Amino acid sequence: MLRFAANARRRHFSQLMYVLCALFTGLIIAVLGLVTLLMLQKGLAYVSLDFFTKSPELNDRGVLAGGMLNGIVGTLILISLASIIGVPLGMLAGVFLSEYGQESWMGTPVRFVADVLTGVPSIVVGILGYELVVVPMGTHSGWAGAFALAFIMIPIVARTSEEMLKLVPQSYREGSLALGATKAQTILRVVLPSAAGSVVTGVMLAIARVSGETAPLLFTALGVRFLVSDPSQPFPSLTVMIYNYARSPSPEQQNLAWAGILVLLLILFAINLLTRLVASRSVRRVA
Amino acid sequence: MSATPSTNPISPGQPPGQSTGQPVGQPHQKRRGRSKADAVLGLLTRGSAVAILLMVASLLGVLLHAAWPSIRQFGPSFIVSSEWRPNAIERPLIGPDGKVVIEDGETVLETLPPAFGALPVIYGTAVSATIALLLAVPLSLGSALFIVRVASRYRFAGVVSFLIEFLAAIPSIAYGMWGIFVLTPFLQKHLEPMLFRLFGDFSIFGWAFFDSSGRAIGLTGRDMLCGGLILGIMILPIITAVSRDVLRAVPRAQVEGALALGATWWQSCIAMLRYSRSGLFGAVMLGLSRAAGETMAVTMVIGNNNQISPSPFAPAQTMASLLANEFGDVTGELHRSALLQVALILLIMSLVFNITARRLVVGKGSRSSAAH
Repeated sequence: MLRFAANARRRHFSQLMYVLCALFTGLIIAVLGLVTLLMLQKGLAYVSLDFFTKSPELNDRGVLAGGMLNGIVGTLILISLASIIGVPLGMLAGVFLSEYGQESWMGTPVRFVADVLTGVPSIVVGILGYELVVVPMGTHSGWAGAFALAFIMIPIVARTSEEMLKLVPQSYREGSLALGATKAQTILRVVLPSAAGSVVTGVMLAIARVSGETAPLLFTALGVRFLVSDPSQPFPSLTVMIYNYARSPSPEQQNLAWAGILVLLLILFAINLLTRLVASRSVRRVA
Repeated sequence: MSATPSTNPISPGQPPGQSTGQPVGQPHQKRRGRSKADAVLGLLTRGSAVAILLMVASLLGVLLHAAWPSIRQFGPSFIVSSEWRPNAIERPLIGPDGKVVIEDGETVLETLPPAFGALPVIYGTAVSATIALLLAVPLSLGSALFIVRVASRYRFAGVVSFLIEFLAAIPSIAYGMWGIFVLTPFLQKHLEPMLFRLFGDFSIFGWAFFDSSGRAIGLTGRDMLCGGLILGIMILPIITAVSRDVLRAVPRAQVEGALALGATWWQSCIAMLRYSRSGLFGAVMLGLSRAAGETMAVTMVIGNNNQISPSPFAPAQTMASLLANEFGDVTGELHRSALLQVALILLIMSLVFNITARRLVVGKGSRSSAAH
């Protein structure tokens, strides 16, 4: 009798925990869904054509409002500059880790350091950008912002491209070498092309990660209220503008910030979707 | 990897053409070109690898160099002092009798020089990260178990995983906006007054609602609690994703063995958790390192006050939010240097967390896309 009671108790407890686990999953998705839905709702309410075509101007009440054209353009330029620096460096390091890593004593420490670098708080990277670029240049600049973003990108690109290159079957390399190709030819014409789809995926994930960053830009690119194309000057970005406007007491600026968040999320979502498309296509090709 | 140069039959150093005595005109030329490409690619990739090593060296080197004046001035007391005073201030001199000293009918002022101590921000970082973990760990582990044990049997496992991974990609500024406009008002108008009504009368909870001089703490919603909660929400996806990968790697035999011995569903889950405890600990450490280094969202909701208060309803400051708030307009070289020392402490702390986490999450877990 006593044993049955104990059995029933632990069975009931198990059922309780089962329900709790299901509830927790639902709760996570609900909370995070609420966050996203609110952004959609608020953002859709405040986004307008002006948002994409105007930079902030002083309105009749002396508040900077209007649109975030400068921020959108600024963010796109910053991401492009960061990618131009970060993607080749990261990919070459990934090639090193995957293709030369075993032969060299540097393989293990470089992999370790790259892993550790992905965890460095982004505000610290921003401060490094300030000390290394802003102080010597004497001014906040787009270059400093791009440097900080590239700094975050390089280890991510390096590690993901390494993982992707390692998925290329060893027999491809051996076949190429057996046909008389050199190591460089093997890497450039056999290994990289057959992993191209997935390497691009990794690169795009890194770009997505970086385009939402605010902290590294606060002290490097700083931000200005008009359109700038010269990266050697203080440079506007969508995220820093959202940060400044979200903390503003004026409702016009808060509304702009909501619209900005929506546009930022849409950019991220587009990159994510594109990544999945590329990934699924490359998987199909390999299969 | 490929064979080492000494055993490689097509190594550029020993072209096979030479040993067989064939004419070595053009092919040899061509091979020279190829070996040059080999050398260039090798050099480029090696250079990039060195660049990664230089990156971490420059982080440590530059921060250490720039923080040196502060390190030299304050020494180890920097991390135990709770004074954070960027500007010199004047205040009435208090005599030994505890009264304000007055000479010739005028209050005597003493000048306090700028002083810097990191204890309040270290405390703020530790407490807000603890609140975050208290919220996130049970939820994440529960839902990771659910995904691995239940959802994977049905179609929606992929959907749930996709949702959680997409949510990991939402930038922190977006969580910050949500915190300012939704979480803060909710805490201020509903949760905190309710807690005050429920517990405010009990003297054992006095530390939470009253400051040291007995005044009630203003329930503003911009406080340690809000910072901790927003951090908790932000680290949910990463802990869930990594512990899901860790749990997925538990051999079936572990679960089936437990079930065969008569364990209930939950008891077999316990067996799973116990089996993969070091990996799960790593997942939590990754979350902790995220929480400790997270900047924007926390800066927007934590209230930004460099004072230690035991109350979760008092405004606070973390290391990262201090940097975001003050590095933009420093008052002097010493202030800047002290901030850089805070950045150095933050960096070293997150390196330690990360290294520990990656040691623990061996193999697949660390490769999860959310882990980056």
